[in-house]
Amino acid sequence: MIECRNLHMDYRNGHVTKNVLKGIDFVINPCDRIGLLGRNGAGKSTLIRLIGGVEMPTAGKVIRRMTCSWPLGFTGGFQGSLTGYDNARFIARIYDRPYAEIREYVEQFTELGSNLKMPVKIYSSGMRARLAFALSLAIEFDCYLIDEVIMVGDRNFQNKSKAEFFEKRTDRALLLASHSLEMVNQYCNRAIVLDDGRATVYEDVAEAVEVYKAL
Amino acid sequence: MARFNEGWRIQIKVIRALTSRELMTRFGRQNIGFLWIMVEPLMFASLVGLVWSFLKAPTNHGMSVFAFVATGYIPLTFLRHSFGQSAKIFVANSSLLYHRQVKVFDFIIVRVLIESVGAMMAYIFAGIVLAFFGLFPFPADIGVLVLGWAIYVFFIFSLCTILAPISEMSEVVEKLVPVSVYIALPFSGVFNMAAWLPPNVRDALMWSPLVSGMELMRFGAFGTVVTPYYDIPKALGVSLVCLLIGLILSRRVRRTMTIT
Repeated sequence: MIECRNLHMDYRNGHVTKNVLKGIDFVINPCDRIGLLGRNGAGKSTLIRLIGGVEMPTAGKVIRRMTCSWPLGFTGGFQGSLTGYDNARFIARIYDRPYAEIREYVEQFTELGSNLKMPVKIYSSGMRARLAFALSLAIEFDCYLIDEVIMVGDRNFQNKSKAEFFEKRTDRALLLASHSLEMVNQYCNRAIVLDDGRATVYEDVAEAVEVYKAL
Repeated sequence: MARFNEGWRIQIKVIRALTSRELMTRFGRQNIGFLWIMVEPLMFASLVGLVWSFLKAPTNHGMSVFAFVATGYIPLTFLRHSFGQSAKIFVANSSLLYHRQVKVFDFIIVRVLIESVGAMMAYIFAGIVLAFFGLFPFPADIGVLVLGWAIYVFFIFSLCTILAPISEMSEVVEKLVPVSVYIALPFSGVFNMAAWLPPNVRDALMWSPLVSGMELMRFGAFGTVVTPYYDIPKALGVSLVCLLIGLILSRRVRRTMTIT
């Protein structure tokens, strides 16, 4: 279980303060598939970063009682100047997993071949997403935080990720920020709509999608 | 307690992973790799030694000028590099903070660790080469030499924990970091022994752990040729106070950091 308790987040730039999140409360249970909906700038990525522990909330707290991936998104998590293999080795080490296994899984899942010997900074966003997904799947978390990124992949990658997340790993929790309503509709059992810094949790995904469309 | 031990275990893994990553990004896999870290302090020390040996007599206060310069400049290069590396260190590594177990403090530990190991290797290397020409004695007391290094490294580490967060807080401070190296020079004991100074100046310098560390290192290397002045409790006290301030500042900066 992961619990968000009264999360507030302000970003300050000089004298201007932006209250991005104004008190978020919800719980991610094991096996939950939660779609996170909201317009651009509503705070989806911010919320995911707070849950992942990348940034700290201005007030409130995140209680993690299951293991949780780092936010899988367009940026972050990799050292650009290092190769795909070196990044994989680094991540295997800090998550205390045997590198040989991780490496094998990464080779097979990403299908990046010799690109893995190139520095990550020259990767396209799709290639990065492949690497991030492969690593987080190889490490095996209880909860995966996915920030948009499935959509950047090609068809082959989307099918692969869907198979891994929605068919093989049905016992894991997932928080999925996405603008793809069909995906949320198809795979999520709950949905959260973020608007004006507040979150509304819907047990009925179709209802959440309607609310989102009306925003 | 079990959680505490587990936390330690993870931090050690993180530090090891960060160290090998740092070595790879900085020195690459080609040519002499990690040995590069020794080159700069050695070139610096040998050129300054050469200049000094023309300006002054080849031996001074019973020590070879070359040996004196090497024992001073190599730790100084370590200081300079550590300060320079600490500026903006959190932002420079921020993509790794995506992984919750990586702490900003680990970045400072790793940088100072690498710099200190490099400087010590350079020190040993310079000592061996100079000893070959009869310019460097066999260390009189290796234990004292190591103690001096330890005090020096610990103090620089605690200063870096302050410099790193304040360099993120303001641009002005970031620009002041290189200046702080020059401010540190007179208090670093690089150019002279405390014994050569008037007693009131010497007493004031005892507040600088750099001086205590340097005096101990030189005493350990040259033995009774030099008269060392040091104050170990004061050195440790000052370092611990700096470390405490640094921990508080680092925590505060980390809490408000925006990570892209």
